[in-house]
Amino acid sequence: MSAFIGNRNRLGIMIFIIVGLVLPLVFSAMPYAVLVCCYILIYLIAVSGFDVLVGFSGQISMGHAAYYCIGAYGSAMLHKYTGIPVFFTMLIAAVTATLVGTLIAWPTTKLVAHFMSLATIAFGNIVFQLVNTSPGRITGDANGLHTTYLSVFGYELNTYTRFYYFALIMVLLFMLIKYNLLHSRVGRAMLAIRENDHAANGMGVNVRFYKVAAFAVSAFFAAYAGAMFAHLVRYISPDSFKQTVSVMFLTMLLFGGTASMSGPIIGVTIVSLLNEALRPASSYKMLVYGVLLLFVILIFPGGILGVMRSMKEKIIQKRK
Amino acid sequence: MLDINNLTITFGGLTAVNDVSMHLDEGRIYGLIGPNGAGKTTFFNLVSGVYIPTSGNISFCGSSLNGKKPYQINKAGISRTYQVINLFKKMTVLENILVGMHTQMKSDFAASLFHLRKERREEEEAVEKAHQWLQFVGIDQRANDMAGSLPYGEQRLLEIVRALSSKPRLILLDEPAAGMNSAEKETLNGFIRKIMSELHVTPLVIEHDMKLIMDICDYIFVLSFGKKIAEGTPQQVQADPEVIAAYLGGE
Repeated sequence: MSAFIGNRNRLGIMIFIIVGLVLPLVFSAMPYAVLVCCYILIYLIAVSGFDVLVGFSGQISMGHAAYYCIGAYGSAMLHKYTGIPVFFTMLIAAVTATLVGTLIAWPTTKLVAHFMSLATIAFGNIVFQLVNTSPGRITGDANGLHTTYLSVFGYELNTYTRFYYFALIMVLLFMLIKYNLLHSRVGRAMLAIRENDHAANGMGVNVRFYKVAAFAVSAFFAAYAGAMFAHLVRYISPDSFKQTVSVMFLTMLLFGGTASMSGPIIGVTIVSLLNEALRPASSYKMLVYGVLLLFVILIFPGGILGVMRSMKEKIIQKRK
Repeated sequence: MLDINNLTITFGGLTAVNDVSMHLDEGRIYGLIGPNGAGKTTFFNLVSGVYIPTSGNISFCGSSLNGKKPYQINKAGISRTYQVINLFKKMTVLENILVGMHTQMKSDFAASLFHLRKERREEEEAVEKAHQWLQFVGIDQRANDMAGSLPYGEQRLLEIVRALSSKPRLILLDEPAAGMNSAEKETLNGFIRKIMSELHVTPLVIEHDMKLIMDICDYIFVLSFGKKIAEGTPQQVQADPEVIAAYLGGE
């Protein structure tokens, strides 16, 4: 039985990697399509991390764009003002966001879900305001900030296709880490907290610690994704880190399905393609997110993945 | 092993547990009985750290438990089950046990994130051990099912082995027989004895089923309106006029 699941997982991973490798070749004449694929990979990292917070530990953050923002601005500004290579500033920015996440999570993990949403919305807005009207205009405020390409070992990722392959490797790394976490003592403690924090506490799980840890992990994922975004498009402005982005992450996660590896892949891909389809009517984006969220919450709480799973179960039961 | 001195907790004007003292030794099966609302579950919540007592002391194996959080008390060697089933319903039966073994495992954050070799080995051993726990209560064939999908009686058993898998020295069982039929109660009777004789874990059992409690317990405490009104062997307790009055009413 377990061998079967293992094989099926391996098959899924193989398909993901092959599709991932082939995509830029398919779109070789359409750089814009490759750029969209880059966005999908970047969002996939952010949303996979978000899943650690929401799907594993059962908490909520309505201002997750804040960490995405800290990653992007952190890396771009650090590179601009110190000249440290981008490869390292991305990591430093992500670690910084992790620390900030820990600091914010420490008080907010004490709150019940609806106050936690409010507190995280507030945090999201604080970060947005700070980059929008920064002291001494160090972030460039509304004019935004220009930054450079990412270089990996002297190899400049100056085309979308080059960046795409780097992003694909990062996605696999981050998803491997998430997979390890899900199947470990730490991940199980987080799941137990989501299921029943009272019983988890009684079973020896330090609830507070793991709640904060889930925040920290998700902040690292989001911030690294943000830094990747900054050095892919090489220009960031506060508009890219509005509340809308937080809602987009949430929509992607819930629409795909939580506490899984494939849920974010499904959700991120579908919502990203929708984003592109809506580009001529981008003011309706929030409306579409809202409708999607309502749809998922009211009609299929497990997301697309949940629907697929229950359909599969029905088929298996019919065969019996 | 467990020493409780003058334990009291008040909620607003209500004294739910009033000046209760108890002494438990290793190696006997203890019972805690009393009419509804006597404060039995509140007492368990005090011992397991869910509530902080207004006054009084709890010490376990020579060290004080005052001010300890539930997860610290579990680590100190007291595990418990709940009156209302508190399983991790959307986790598998096996994962429920693995969470129970949380304090028995050492893999930290880094080891878990990067799936280091020592973590892999510990994980394999833990899974094997968890299967043994499930075999102990005969539900290993359900290991990969969701805990919430088990029949009621098996959920109760799972909750007890989950508590046992954290290797406690004392286990608090809150109405383990609630909602069980007589055949399931018979199994439970043997099981609680096995906890004592094979695992050497001391049980303290809250139960309303008098037949069960008088049969398995070596020593019984009786609470009524938050106060301890009697303690002793089942025979002594059954003959105690105060206990009879508490259960049947009277002057």
